[in-house]
Amino acid sequence: MNELLFIQQDVLPSLMKGLNVSLLLILPSGLCGLVLGVLVGALRVYGSRWVILLTNGYVAVFRGFPLVVQLFIWYFGLPHIGIYLTPFLASVLGFTLCSAAYHSEYVRGAFLSIKKGQRMAAQALGFTKLEMIRTIILPQAFRRALPGCGNEVIYLIKYSSLAYMITCIELTGEGKVIASETFKYTEIFFVVGLIYLMLTTGASLLLRRLENSLRLPGFDHYSL
Amino acid sequence: MKVMTDAQPVLRVEKLTKRYGSKEVVKQASLTVNQGEIKVLIGPSGGGKSTLLQCINFLVVPEEGRIWLEGKEILHSQKKELYEYRQKVGMIFQDFNLFDHLTALRNVEIALLKVRKMSKREARDRAVAELERVGLKEHIQKYPAQLSGGQKQRVSIARALAMDPKVMLLDEPTSALDPELITEVLAVIRALGADGMTMVMATHQIGFASDLADEILFLEDGAIVEAGPPARILLQAECARTREFCSKLTGLYGEGR
Repeated sequence: MNELLFIQQDVLPSLMKGLNVSLLLILPSGLCGLVLGVLVGALRVYGSRWVILLTNGYVAVFRGFPLVVQLFIWYFGLPHIGIYLTPFLASVLGFTLCSAAYHSEYVRGAFLSIKKGQRMAAQALGFTKLEMIRTIILPQAFRRALPGCGNEVIYLIKYSSLAYMITCIELTGEGKVIASETFKYTEIFFVVGLIYLMLTTGASLLLRRLENSLRLPGFDHYSL
Repeated sequence: MKVMTDAQPVLRVEKLTKRYGSKEVVKQASLTVNQGEIKVLIGPSGGGKSTLLQCINFLVVPEEGRIWLEGKEILHSQKKELYEYRQKVGMIFQDFNLFDHLTALRNVEIALLKVRKMSKREARDRAVAELERVGLKEHIQKYPAQLSGGQKQRVSIARALAMDPKVMLLDEPTSALDPELITEVLAVIRALGADGMTMVMATHQIGFASDLADEILFLEDGAIVEAGPPARILLQAECARTREFCSKLTGLYGEGR
């Protein structure tokens, strides 16, 4: 009983404050990451040689550097060249750029899966390249990329916990603060874990609904 | 007035050559199509029929050759000119290539909106009218996956017609269809011809070709080996290879008029 009371009265209020910060990190990073990822993915397929080289380089770096190292660079490194970011902004920037690199790979795969005939039909009708990508290829590719991109969103929810490493105290950070004050690591981090589980579950349900609402005849499967 | 300028060809193709590496897929192909004429390309698979048609609207860029539409030479490196030219050249593919994520109506409408920049109302009316013309009024809200092959090909014809093309290129429009569905697509093409549409069509439907064509061109190994009116090409071709090919086709498809 005491444990429950302790969690309810001391732990939950701080964790809710942390959850709030987490959500503020996740939502813009998720959205910007997806938009940037789609853009980079498209450029990696349809860009000129130099654009492809450049965007491939971006993806290689941002998938290759550990995320926490990227955050350190944005937060501790940029001041050396006179750019000061708040912990919050540095985190959002880091998450967005990392997330976009991963999204772009799912999007690239989806673009490559669209048959050549779709492009030829659009070109034969006089579509410009940009209009063809925007109205013919992207709507089809996005549907195919969605399960993969959803995966990245789920992952983002969890790696947002790294923000506390650069003093942006979000859910995990708050947990760590109370845990080190009370030494009740097990209880507190169990609750923290449960909250992340709820977030990811909610996100996957939403993503599934989005998938279903975009489903097209001819691409449907019987769901269990 | 000079007699020569009277009938300016709609489409003129001169010495088109396409190479993949050292292999010439289209060799110095030339053809001239006048207003309302129907030219049919026949020849063995892999003979360059598709590539020739795709070169004509630069879906495949030829290494050599020149193309004129209504007397104006097309420079495909000028993007704007290329896009405008393609709008005037309708293309029908063997495997339809309908946009999978759009309904029949949207398939026809989309280029009117995005390419010709028509108003929504205008585009919708035109799209509905074209789909009615090919007999698909009941199916305008269906997605490609919900249509039969013949219906899909008719949607793709409606999609091309909505652009008011000066000439249509048809790349084996019935080859992916089973025999029962071929008739409905041929009927639409026949009606187009009767309406005076200028067409270049690759096909194996020899009976249909001989009915409709003003000229048949026999294509082998990328070169136009022989050309002439259907009666001569099909029955008394000069080239032995053409004769052999035609007699085989007649045996296979002779009834499919």
